[in-house]
Amino acid sequence: MKQHLGRQSGVQSVDVSLIDGKVEIVPKEDGRLDPPQLLKAVYDSGVSVAEMEITARGKIARDASGNLVLNVNPNQSFAIASNNLSKELEPLAGSPIAITVRGQLYKKAEGKTKRKPDMSAPLRFFVLEIQKKE
Amino acid sequence: MNSKKFALFALLVCALAPVSHAQVKHIQMRVEGMT
Repeated sequence: MKQHLGRQSGVQSVDVSLIDGKVEIVPKEDGRLDPPQLLKAVYDSGVSVAEMEITARGKIARDASGNLVLNVNPNQSFAIASNNLSKELEPLAGSPIAITVRGQLYKKAEGKTKRKPDMSAPLRFFVLEIQKKE
Repeated sequence: MNSKKFALFALLVCALAPVSHAQVKHIQMRVEGMT
């Protein structure tokens, strides 16, 4: 799995802990990581992802439907799921303020035995912590 | 003229710098079925 992930573009290093089943990925400086591609790479290596958390820096905006999104690159954004913390981000939509947030991007459905992550729906960013506004 | 170009360049750098620093900083996954 470490080799599978290490081959993905934008990956600087991969650290795997067999004891607690955790995988830490450090992106390259200014690298563009593709989280769905990482999920697929893990699946292809024979294990399943229970959950994925990311820490990202970007700007808050609204998409064409008016939903909040986190823009991390000109061509990469994550739809933000609504929760108490996402409400704190609403006033920042369209502002030049950059924020650093930690959130959950994927969680395997409860009781689901199927290993392959469902990629038919876009990943939604569930904000867990707002680390920095600047 | 040069100072005008420099001012324009500085404005562009200020406008684009925050975007270039926007990125995914860290990813952590919990996996199942690993031996």
